[in-house]
Parts: sequence; structure tokens; C-alpha cells
Amino acid sequence: MPISDKAGAARKIDELLRAVLKECGFRVKYRIVVDPPLPEERDWERPEILVELSGPDSDLLLERGGELLRSLEHLAQEIVRLAPSEHERVAFDCMNHRAMRLEELKLAAGVAAERVRKTGVPYTFSPMSSRERRIVHLALRDEADLKTESTGEAGRRAVVVYPKDYKPAPRAGRR
Amino acid sequence: MATDQGGDMRALVEQIAKALVDEPAQVSVQAVDGEQVTVLELRVAPNDLGKVIGKQGRTARSIRTILSAAGMKLRKRFTLEILE
Repeated sequence: MPISDKAGAARKIDELLRAVLKECGFRVKYRIVVDPPLPEERDWERPEILVELSGPDSDLLLERGGELLRSLEHLAQEIVRLAPSEHERVAFDCMNHRAMRLEELKLAAGVAAERVRKTGVPYTFSPMSSRERRIVHLALRDEADLKTESTGEAGRRAVVVYPKDYKPAPRAGRR
Repeated sequence: MATDQGGDMRALVEQIAKALVDEPAQVSVQAVDGEQVTVLELRVAPNDLGKVIGKQGRTARSIRTILSAAGMKLRKRFTLEILE
């Protein structure tokens, strides 16, 4: 279900950002775009509201894997009352960080796929957010000889790439 | 505007919390200044606790990340306590 009141949602995000930038003194400007033009990539990400930030404090937003940028994005998603499964409808970006990370993840997925093919051994990625895990799953969805799954507890969940017909070796001592 | 320099983390936390909850009238934030750190005590309606904490604490963590980045800019330390 798309966001029903996009203008209202954009207004709420604008109020949030205006207050944060004023009180915190972050030197960045922002632009809120409703229904941004979709990039050539087919279905990786389809935000309905895109917020682009830039300015002298861009580095601060992107430190530690974009922790501050993702925090602002998360608060915006909550304030607009998106269900967790709909969070991708509101996206924040800075210095093209999302697109770069998307490329990185696709490259990493390709390297992992080759390695699993060569060795026949499953490959476990480092833990990632659900958004990033989704990208890895999508990147490998057309590889007929592989399968991907997410394992691990919340906060430590990671994508594992398996050979399609992979069966764990029987444990010693069991019949 | 000229007199308003920003830096009011208490007001910011209050505004964010009010935008997150169902009962904004029940939101209150008190700032307790210490030597090293300002503690921001957030109170919300019992039914709204989950809204300010979030799944796996993610919403509270997001607010804390903003406070800590602001603290670097303002050369102060802020800590958020959500009181039940």
C-alpha cells in the first residue's frame, strides 16, 4: 500500500529535519522529493519520498556506515507511521551513499557466489540491516545453482549463500 | 530568529517524541544538567513506551545517535533516559 498522504508525510519529515538541524547545528541542507524518478535499476529500491542531504557536515552523517543518516531516516519512517515492511518507502541519502552501497553489495554478492561455486562451501556475510540483506538476496536471485538464506538473531542477522543442493555434512557420532 | 541559536536538546527530544507517540500531550522532557553531561529524562504515556523505544530499541538508539552527534558539535554530552 503506498503512502496515502505524501504531502502530509513530507511536511512531517520537513518539521523533523528543520528542528534537528537547528538544535544540533549540523551544517547540511536537505531536499525532499515526492515520487522521485526511478533509476534505471529495476526493482532494487522504490522510495516514494526521497530526502537528499548535503553540506559541510556530510561526513558526520556518513560516519560509521552512515549511522547518523540511518538514524534520521529511521525516525522519519516512524514519524510517518510506516510499518517495518514499508520502511523502504521513505529513503534518506547523502553524497550518493545509497547508490554506492548498492553497488558494493552487488559486487560482494558476485564475489561470494563465485567462491561458493568454486569451493562448494556456504559463505556467510557480515551482519547487515534488513534493507541490505534484501539487496544481497535480490542480487543473487537469478543464480540457479545457488540459494540464499538469512540466519541469526535480530541485530546479528546475516545472509548465507549456499550451493543449491547443499546438505550439511552429517555430524560425527550420529547415525 | 536571531536570538534563537539552537542547541536546545530538551526541546528537540520533546518535539521528536511528540511526533512519534499517539498521546503527545503526555510527553514531557526534563533536562538535568551535570558537570560532564546533561541527562534528558523523557516521560510518555505507558502505551506509548514502545513507540519511543522501537523494535529492538532502534528508535531510542536513533535519538541517542543524534544526541551524540549534536554533542560533538556543541562540545557537550547528552544522555537520554526513558523513564517508565
